[in-house]
Amino acid sequence: MMHMSVPQTMADPTRLHIIELLRGGEQSVNDIVENVDIDQSGVSRHLRILQQAGFVRVRPEGQKRLYSLCPQPFRDLDSWLSQYRQLWEGRLDKFGQALSHQRNARTITAQKTKSRR
Amino acid sequence: MNEKVNNGPDPKAVIERMYPASIEDVWELWTTEQGIESWWGPDGFSVKVHRLDLRPGGEMRYDMTAVDPAQIQFMKRAGMPLTTQANLTFTAIVPLKSIAYTHRADFIPGVEPYDVGNKVEFFAEGNYVRMILTLDPMHSDEWTQRAVMGMESQLGKLARVVGHRDPN
Repeated sequence: MMHMSVPQTMADPTRLHIIELLRGGEQSVNDIVENVDIDQSGVSRHLRILQQAGFVRVRPEGQKRLYSLCPQPFRDLDSWLSQYRQLWEGRLDKFGQALSHQRNARTITAQKTKSRR
Repeated sequence: MNEKVNNGPDPKAVIERMYPASIEDVWELWTTEQGIESWWGPDGFSVKVHRLDLRPGGEMRYDMTAVDPAQIQFMKRAGMPLTTQANLTFTAIVPLKSIAYTHRADFIPGVEPYDVGNKVEFFAEGNYVRMILTLDPMHSDEWTQRAVMGMESQLGKLARVVGHRDPN
């Protein structure tokens, strides 16, 4: 169940920082706390949000809880961005065609006006 | 026609094109119903503009209808209507220079709709117009995370790296 949208989840600089840290592989809360500017309760809160949004998963190892990234939200975002780009590439091709039609139509009108004279 | 895709640290997604045309002709295609209908529809779709209120806070409302047989078949199979309504809200208009608007991004499965800011700018260069489109995270509430766009080029890579490690 997604509580925040993908862009909302990534909107926070601390969460983005945590994601960057986890790119290197799984880490415990303590490892993460050492590398960010907020305390453990703050880190735990962000990790919970990331987990709820499907960005990270957690597994216990002894006393530790190890966090790692899940690929799906990144795939979704990546595919969303390529869809956006694809949409616009198609549109801009049509835009170019529409411009030539516009120009041709004008030329024909101009020629007709000329020949009428 | 030349095209540049910006994947640098710039926080925005940028698409750029050059057209052999005048600024006036380009502007007309962006600001008249007939002009917009001639190109706005994605491949396989036609567009009918119902409302075009070209001022900050004004709306453009339009219908998009699947017209291409393959697209029609796809929509039917997916149980989606052939015509969908859409709208966008203009946020800034500078005649012959730029247009900014937001629209709801509601086509991503599993992701709740949210507003995305867009801007298009026109620059006359000799007999050409350079048209620069920017997906602008700063102009929409939930896209304030500049980093997302900056990470764009890395995302595919990241997905593959993480996916590779994923035992599933």
